[in-house]
Amino acid sequence: MSGSNNAQAGQMAISFKLNAKEYNLTISANERLLDLIRNRLGLIGTKEGCGGGECGACTIIMNGQAVNSCIIPAARADGAEILTVEGLSGGMENELHPLQKTFLEKGAIQCGYCTPGMLLSAKALLDQNEGKEISRELIKEGISGNICRCTGYQKIVDAIYTYARERKGIE
Amino acid sequence: MKFSNLGKETPILDGLEKVTGRARYVPDLKVEGMLHGRILRSPYPHARLKKVDISKAERISGVRDIITGKKVSQHKFGPMVPDWVILPDDKVRFHGDEVAAVAATSEESAAEALSLIEVEYEVLPAVFDPELAMAEEAPLLYEEKENNIATTFYVHKGDVDKALAGSEIVFEETYQTNQVYQAYMETMAAVAAPGDYERLTMWLSTQIPSMSRLRYAEALEICAEDLRIIKPHVGGGFGAKFEYKAHILAAVLARRTGSPVRMVNNREEDFRAGNPRVPMKIWIKLGLAKDGTLLAKDTRIIAGNGARTVYAPAITSTACYRIDSLYKFKNVRSTGYTVYTNTIPTSCFRGFGNAQMHFAMESALDTICHQYNLDPIKIRQQNGVTPGFTSIHGWEIKSCALKECLDKAVEESNWYDKKKEPAEKSPVKKGIGVAICNHVSGNRPFFKPFDGSSALVRLTPEGKAIVFTGEADIGQGMNTAFALIAAEAVGLDVKNVRTAAVDTDISPFGLGSFATRGTTIGGRAVYEAAVNLKKQLLEHLARVYEKKIEQITINEGQIYFDDQEDPITVAKAIQTISYTLGGTSLVGHGVFVPETVLPDENKYGNVSPAYPFGCHIAEVEVDTETGRARLLNYWAVHDVGRVINKQTLEGQVEGGVMMGAGWALGEDMVVKEGKLLNPNFHDYCLPTAMDTPRGRIYSYFLESGDPNGPFGAKGIGEPSLNPVPAAIANAVFDAVGVRVKNLPITPEKILEGLASA
Repeated sequence: MSGSNNAQAGQMAISFKLNAKEYNLTISANERLLDLIRNRLGLIGTKEGCGGGECGACTIIMNGQAVNSCIIPAARADGAEILTVEGLSGGMENELHPLQKTFLEKGAIQCGYCTPGMLLSAKALLDQNEGKEISRELIKEGISGNICRCTGYQKIVDAIYTYARERKGIE
Repeated sequence: MKFSNLGKETPILDGLEKVTGRARYVPDLKVEGMLHGRILRSPYPHARLKKVDISKAERISGVRDIITGKKVSQHKFGPMVPDWVILPDDKVRFHGDEVAAVAATSEESAAEALSLIEVEYEVLPAVFDPELAMAEEAPLLYEEKENNIATTFYVHKGDVDKALAGSEIVFEETYQTNQVYQAYMETMAAVAAPGDYERLTMWLSTQIPSMSRLRYAEALEICAEDLRIIKPHVGGGFGAKFEYKAHILAAVLARRTGSPVRMVNNREEDFRAGNPRVPMKIWIKLGLAKDGTLLAKDTRIIAGNGARTVYAPAITSTACYRIDSLYKFKNVRSTGYTVYTNTIPTSCFRGFGNAQMHFAMESALDTICHQYNLDPIKIRQQNGVTPGFTSIHGWEIKSCALKECLDKAVEESNWYDKKKEPAEKSPVKKGIGVAICNHVSGNRPFFKPFDGSSALVRLTPEGKAIVFTGEADIGQGMNTAFALIAAEAVGLDVKNVRTAAVDTDISPFGLGSFATRGTTIGGRAVYEAAVNLKKQLLEHLARVYEKKIEQITINEGQIYFDDQEDPITVAKAIQTISYTLGGTSLVGHGVFVPETVLPDENKYGNVSPAYPFGCHIAEVEVDTETGRARLLNYWAVHDVGRVINKQTLEGQVEGGVMMGAGWALGEDMVVKEGKLLNPNFHDYCLPTAMDTPRGRIYSYFLESGDPNGPFGAKGIGEPSLNPVPAAIANAVFDAVGVRVKNLPITPEKILEGLASA
């Protein structure tokens, strides 16, 4: 929960860019980035699965890196550029990022709780390997910090692999 | 049969909200004025509560209520055995047991209050091992429960002693299955809010909305009608999300404060006080003729119930005798003890005891085949049940493609060629193993009053159909299966069909997601409702368009009249019909009550309308230097009766295989003196994408067309996991000759086995 009403906790002003929008907020020193995103910005797509950086449900992309927002102090967001699942499609209401589309079409989603974090880990992996050949092994490694208990991962790997190849074809 | 909607790869209909992050789960809900609930849990496995002092905690700003055992009713209730109270006022029985609960205006205030509750415990002697708990000198958890035995199950059919005496092969072994955690990604969660008419609304992450309503009404001593349960999206369950103490505590706090209360487990308490798998020690004795014919099975099971009863007794009885309807046994005997210990209460986990016994039985058969030079494929074909067979317990096997499952798995995996391959010269050895499975699709004794389901399908004036069911989609794609069934039965395009979220004020009663019953029983009710809707639609079409019913065909959302070239759309027609009926929707109502038979005192009955079967073959490699086993390829063939949605079926199988592989190869709740040592995902190692087979999980579906399932469909959820640990254990043995009889198959056990070989 937000600690912004707690006068004893150190307050600080931060500014950051999230899903292409600028934010200037006052936060408390003990606030987690995950709580800032979920409770203050109301972006519930970022999930809490373990609170200890071990399951990847809260994965966001911060300055190009996939990170677990549950173990990052909100203060670290100062000056950062952040992407959550809500911004993945580029802010277009009725459009999907191709990864969202292939996840949907390939059955890479069951309960959906890990899906936002999984999508962001996949995006970060593909962005970091732009132009390179992407193997299934690399994908498996890239999403190994994201736990999915429903799918057994096969359809997730298939979806990411399919998109990676399509993308290469386009380039 | 030709279908418009079935048998295809249909993406789940609620996938868009999940992929965009818009799907709301209980932890995402915000209700105006919502308080945050937290639970104080016992730091001792067994202790008398001498004093619980909340005076300091009450003074924390933002604290609205604190409840202890002294402040709440002490009446007993429980899903199977009345050994639950809202909060105990006498003693705590496991490390994690509920002592007090707080509702505060913020998480921080609630947490601070918890830390200031002063409890004086008198630590009592505790017992952790079910077998030791049965000993005369063991401390008792409940004074009235002699030897800590919660329940005993016994069944004997035929004459086991005589059959064993006449058996040319007699095999005896003890297997152990460990305690593992379901690890759904969304932890246990509830929001309870007082509403109008003195009613209470609960948003629950649950598999059993209708049943939990009955149970919670009992706990709260109110009329079930005054409780409204809503199930939004659920982030997995796998058996754990049944009746849960934290839900009840949220309800009590909400009623006392008059405010909405949110209660969401953090991961650690979900580990410590969830409902993990029932651990079992299984002694099995099998008698066979020289040719491999199974003559007798004798088993004795000691199962860990934990400190209070959830569903472990039913799970133990399932382990005792469900597998007797996989093979054509004539003589079986089984005794199962469900024993209290000062540990986490155990309960349902995909496979429900049948998975535990599959590990024992299918491992035993493999060893017998190895020792007596029998073919592990043929022995299963020779003894496996066949269509039309009635098992020793009265279970009527109607549809059954078990033999074909074996054939297909053998063919696709190249079983016999792989068995002939010479051993690798490198330290990494390959192996291949087989196991088969059965299960149920509904379980008549689970809810004593009945099994069955009902559904409504509403066709709106806009031409959209909405399925209302009380059966719970917990992420497995059930709502999509229901929509496909309704679409197929009426003749609609599935794009215009959806399944409503369960809300007990609106949805019919549904027992819920367990016993692999959703598609078969829930789906059949949806089918009946859709058929009823179609009948009404045809009658109104005949009236409004002045045709005979026989002249009308409905397919994929189009209505064809046999004397007219062009079809009209259902949307157009229903609007016309609706406007002649005061704007009403057409509502089809369907009921399915399977002709199952509640087992009698001799356990003779017929528990399920349909029985699914399957065959799994695992290919592994084992590194003899590190002891590590990993999957190379996996073939899973299932008799699902009929494919409703190929994509979600594959999803269930792939998920079930990896969940079974996690259990087989590493997952383990390490408990020392009653305290869980690994209550987090760092120390409790779940499979990640890196643990998936180097090759693939190949799944195949055979359609035996069950007479009771909708369009012939049977279930898949649990059968997808049942044979996995045994198939892997058998493959490990094939690779390196090490037989691990106690799960999990860790590198240490493999190395130890190699060293003693």
